[in-house]
Amino acid sequence: MSNKVAIIASNGGLFDAYKVFNIATAAAASEKEVAIFFTFEGLNLIHKQGMHALPMPAGAEHYAEGFAKANVPTIPQLVEMAQELGVTFIACQMTMDVMSLSTDDFIDGIAVGGAVTFLEFAKDAAPSLTF
Amino acid sequence: MSMKVDFQLDAKGLSCPMPIVKTKKAMADLVDGQILEVSATDKGSKADVAAWAETVGHQYIGTLENDGVLKHYIRKCTNDLIEEVTFDQTIDLEQITNRDGLILDVREEAEFAFGHIEGAKSIPISELDTRLSELDKEQEIYVICRTGKRSDMAAQKLASRGFAKVFNVLPGMTSWKGDLTKNI
Repeated sequence: MSNKVAIIASNGGLFDAYKVFNIATAAAASEKEVAIFFTFEGLNLIHKQGMHALPMPAGAEHYAEGFAKANVPTIPQLVEMAQELGVTFIACQMTMDVMSLSTDDFIDGIAVGGAVTFLEFAKDAAPSLTF
Repeated sequence: MSMKVDFQLDAKGLSCPMPIVKTKKAMADLVDGQILEVSATDKGSKADVAAWAETVGHQYIGTLENDGVLKHYIRKCTNDLIEEVTFDQTIDLEQITNRDGLILDVREEAEFAFGHIEGAKSIPISELDTRLSELDKEQEIYVICRTGKRSDMAAQKLASRGFAKVFNVLPGMTSWKGDLTKNI
């Protein structure tokens, strides 16, 4: 059985962030080795400012109340938890170049890499997930 | 009812994945064989805790639900080495209910509560020393646990205290196909 979980985060909304970080922390808490590759809008999820104000999908704004009521952790809290549990964050270099972003724009403790970096990790991971 | 446990974790009010993350962290402070009780209100935690325990190799004992609070019971196991069973007087699990002796279940109270053989007596192995007077040296005693490991240790202990008619039951409750009695 594979002990690795590989995740691609390619979307930058609040719902996307929950999908990515819930699965990642749950997997890490189950003693899996987890890496997330953040690419295109997915980079929002680890952007220092962006992660605090991720958008809801259009028309879904009313869910804000539900999030508060269900006592769901905030994205920055989940990110911190994921890092504490040893989840590896890889920011996509190519997207960073396209968007003129540097590592200073992101939270601490991330790695930067290209597609091959992710593929190398994911080659024997199960499951591999894309959000 | 309150169950005897070694650690309690309050994860009430937290939503997925927090109960699991907290459980993982809490488990790190337990030693092998100890029982953790996790209180949670996240309804998904019942399936999650069981699946988590299965994945990481701990023993999920069961869940009690009371007034919207779920209490999960997990016993810490290191999923390593098969320990050698050394007590030489053993008895097959299928034989014990046909005989007159006492079935002595040495698992933890929570494990016993979630399912045991009808008529078995519960003395967790950690309490055996102080409760020897509850046992009769003239009676045959069939010592059982989950896999045969703790019962082996208990059987050795009893033998060293002068109990001659002691048998270690193999395999343990994991192979029991008969009815289970619960007191929860």
